[in-house]
Amino acid sequence: MENKPVSDNATAVLAFDAVSKAYAAPNGEPRHVLHDVSFEAPAGRRIAIVGRSGSGKSTLLHLAAGIDVPTGGDVRVMGRSLAAMSESERTVLRRDLVGLVFQFFYLMPHLSVRDNVALPALIAGDRPRHFEPRVAQLLDRVGLGDRANERVQKLSGGEMQRVAICRALMRRPHLLLADEPTGNLDDENGRRVMELMLSLVAEEGGTLIFVTHSREVSGLADEVWRLHSGVLSPYAEVEAPTAPNPS
Amino acid sequence: MRRYFTTAMTAHLRAGGSLYLLTVLGVALGVAAVLSIQIINRNAIAAFAGSVKAVSGEADLSVLGYTPSFPEDLYPRVLSTPGVQAAWPLWRAAVALSSHDDGMLDLIGVDFFTPVDIPWQGEPTDPAVALSQPGWVALTPRLAEQMGWRVGDAFTVSLGSRLVRLTVGALVDFHALNPLASPKLAVMDIAQAQSLFGDAGAIHQIDVQLADGADTDAMRTRLQDRLGPGVRVVTPEQRQAQAKGLLAAFQLNLTALSLISLFVGVFLVYSSTQAALVRRREELGLLRSLGATRRQVFALIIAEVGLLGGLGAALGLPLGYGVAQANVRVVSATLSNLYLLEEIARLEMTTWLYALGIVIGVGGAVVGALLPALDVARRDTRSLLSAFTLHETVGSLAPRLFALGVALPLTAAAWYGLFGRHWQHAGFVLAVVLLLTLPLLTPLLVRELCAGVRVRGFGLGYSLKGLGVRLQTTSVAVASLAVAVSMLIGITLMIGSFRQTLSVWVGTSIQADVYIAPASWRGTGSDGGLEPHVMATVTGHPAVQAVDRLRRFHGYTGDRQTGTVRRIMVSGVEMGLRQGLSRFPFLPGALPDPYEAVRERRGLFIGETLARKTGVWVGDALPLRTPTGVQDFPIVAVYYDYSAGDGAVAMDLRTMERAFGPGPVSSTALYLRPGTDVAAVVADLQAALPDAPLEMRSNRRLRTEVLAVFDQTFAITRLLQFMSLLIAVCGIALMLLVLAREQAPELALCRSLGARGRQLFGVFVGKGLSMGVMGLALGSVGGVLLAGLLIYVINRAYFGWTIQPYVDWGLIAQQAATILGAAVLASLYPAFRARQTSAAALSRDDL
Repeated sequence: MENKPVSDNATAVLAFDAVSKAYAAPNGEPRHVLHDVSFEAPAGRRIAIVGRSGSGKSTLLHLAAGIDVPTGGDVRVMGRSLAAMSESERTVLRRDLVGLVFQFFYLMPHLSVRDNVALPALIAGDRPRHFEPRVAQLLDRVGLGDRANERVQKLSGGEMQRVAICRALMRRPHLLLADEPTGNLDDENGRRVMELMLSLVAEEGGTLIFVTHSREVSGLADEVWRLHSGVLSPYAEVEAPTAPNPS
Repeated sequence: MRRYFTTAMTAHLRAGGSLYLLTVLGVALGVAAVLSIQIINRNAIAAFAGSVKAVSGEADLSVLGYTPSFPEDLYPRVLSTPGVQAAWPLWRAAVALSSHDDGMLDLIGVDFFTPVDIPWQGEPTDPAVALSQPGWVALTPRLAEQMGWRVGDAFTVSLGSRLVRLTVGALVDFHALNPLASPKLAVMDIAQAQSLFGDAGAIHQIDVQLADGADTDAMRTRLQDRLGPGVRVVTPEQRQAQAKGLLAAFQLNLTALSLISLFVGVFLVYSSTQAALVRRREELGLLRSLGATRRQVFALIIAEVGLLGGLGAALGLPLGYGVAQANVRVVSATLSNLYLLEEIARLEMTTWLYALGIVIGVGGAVVGALLPALDVARRDTRSLLSAFTLHETVGSLAPRLFALGVALPLTAAAWYGLFGRHWQHAGFVLAVVLLLTLPLLTPLLVRELCAGVRVRGFGLGYSLKGLGVRLQTTSVAVASLAVAVSMLIGITLMIGSFRQTLSVWVGTSIQADVYIAPASWRGTGSDGGLEPHVMATVTGHPAVQAVDRLRRFHGYTGDRQTGTVRRIMVSGVEMGLRQGLSRFPFLPGALPDPYEAVRERRGLFIGETLARKTGVWVGDALPLRTPTGVQDFPIVAVYYDYSAGDGAVAMDLRTMERAFGPGPVSSTALYLRPGTDVAAVVADLQAALPDAPLEMRSNRRLRTEVLAVFDQTFAITRLLQFMSLLIAVCGIALMLLVLAREQAPELALCRSLGARGRQLFGVFVGKGLSMGVMGLALGSVGGVLLAGLLIYVINRAYFGWTIQPYVDWGLIAQQAATILGAAVLASLYPAFRARQTSAAALSRDDL
């Protein structure tokens, strides 16, 4: 099972099958970021991925979201092979099945809280009368229902990340990918945001894969995997997580 | 710092080539617009001066008539004046080339025995041959080559209804005397010219060479006193100044229009510099933190922009020359039609024009970059390195700019009402204020409009919403488009109104069924007229019910106190003609029964243009120069007049003959019996006068030709409108490219949230369209106001025409569609760039 952690759950929402990724270095030589990574994420699981900076965590999430393509192996989302898809098809799959949460929130400064949450629905061309109740429901759930019309610049960091989580969950994705979701927050805010996200994912019934430096945060996951020099392995078999992010 | 400048500039050029290219293109178009007009303006004057110099280059003074010609017995009086070393008479006429439609020859009759230096090509011609061979004429080599004539070939010309056969006797190269001399100059013996063209005893000019040491001014006065009030004695410089004065209003208006293109171009530089500085804020902050002074940062920015301006000028110089070259024929035809000046034979690029192009390019670019450069140079290092952006500056300034945009036109209107209305150029001040107001109002309007939009989809609403926060970029693009649109719509409305007014006026004043004029008559009333046998044949046709004879020439008003003279068109017509009672549409205030009154009082009708310029109205008298001195003519009515130049008057033929002596009929109009077939009458007359060099036009054809001349006159204006719009469209493309760069993280986020490439493409096209709509809306308001200024203030001050406002909705809709189409086209490339944004770009930047 070395470097091929496979879940016991029969239905895999996300599956990496011997995935490798290399970039061309300035000298023309390939620089390998991921080596022969294989794993499956079954429905409803909460998986944390830990690792040092530059270990390939973000690349792994990009491959999972179809933002990037592997140089070897295949990635499957809900059983659909991304390798066989065009860029446009991967975009549509991401839009319909995947939600993303980022360390720096990435909210649109010119849009209100409500419009930021609704953005995936706007992009998908959903009708306002269909998505507006969902926006209100999510904002109420994260305690921002009364701030729906405010500009996002007026929010605190924790509030911004809550808006970003609502946005990621807007279209009820099967797979939620979060890249250091608490990395830009203090410990207290980070813990609250993480608990909120986990409970929301549990309510929605999706699968969550998140990257973190924090021991406390990774402790909230069902499984923890460690990425080291492009090789993925179960955390328990190796060592304790790396030190928390000083930020 | 110099080394850093080179390295940084190279790197920026590589990274944002298309941005710099658009900036350079904008500057180049602005330079080209201004330069092309200046080239044409300067060469129009130079063409006149060139011909004057070629013909009268050795003369210190010229004697010219106040009427078309004057008696040659003045010549001995000139010669016998103490201080005159030499003098030679000239007979001049513009004759029509029979073999060539619209071809004219500027024929000069000279006395070959006087000391005139004629630049013969090859061996000097024996004067005896020129005198003895009937119809001997010397042409320029260029005209001979153009017409395919050689020495010995014969050709026919006409003056009035008279046909004359000439023979090419020699070639005379006036270009050797002055390269800008008209190639259509031709010389022949003066006695032959007078005899062949039926103008015995009349001359048009006497050139005078003064004795060494003679004082020109004193001699001028002495000659004027000796020759009497029927002629004027002028220096070559005075003749040139008169031509300049004639063209001043026409040229000033073209210059002003071309400056609008430059104004829009400067805007483009301003916005691109601002956008570049937003991008490079951190770089400049770092330079400051490493010890670069404010002055160095300022110099770095200005040097970069100056270099771009220099590149724009380098591109704009040949472009401007090309535009001038492509339009010189049209403008030259307009100048010949309206102002009766020499055609512009060739364009010359003087050092002054090169310098002007460079100054405009570099200076315009530096002026455009000055404010953003000063703003950045003034900032402290900390603020440059912080996340504070220039977008926020404009956002916070928007209300103050708006307030200024409201206060400025109100102040200007108050100034105009109190003081400015009596100053001729006040209209231009108001127009500049109007064009400055639009950019001041734009940021707040764009911000509020975008803030009010409810995003209900990832489409136009989303596109608009995004424009509101990038005010620094978007408001400048919208403002520059609004300025260009104002110009486009304002001038379109003015031209449309003018054309419609003219069309109505032509319909009223052109009433006769057939108009007959000699081919040599270009509306100028040259010496040639319709000979008596021609008039007898024409008027003797049985279908002719009434005949209106027109005698027309250039006359001069005279002010006894100030001595100011204006060259005006003087017309004599049959005022008693019952059928012609609507020929002169009058302004309110005419005396009762004006056609009767103008005959009885031996008065005149004055054109509105002249009335406005001289301030002389009904009840006053207008002094006119006649062969016997200045005479006053009571003004009976003021008529709507749309001729160019200094104005016109009309009087009864008998009054004209009494004041100016007898003269030929320049053209005639025939009123036919009701039910007559006009075409059949024209055919009859042509058959009866088979060789007569006459133009016979039906009523409809004449109306069409008048409007065709009008359209030709405004052709250059349309080109300037187009150039201004093109610069504004470059501005939209530039701003959208800037947006595509600035918003790369936002676009990447949309991609990561599932937006497809074509959706981003649509969003950017939506942004272009939104900017187009906003520019169009704001520009339309500005355009209507500008049209009002052009019609009621500027036109009145410079030309004195009454123009009735008229809106051609079809044309306006067509232009609006073109503007929006251009905005969409301009957004295609930036949209394509936006479409290529990858979701992976998100990890490298933040929003």
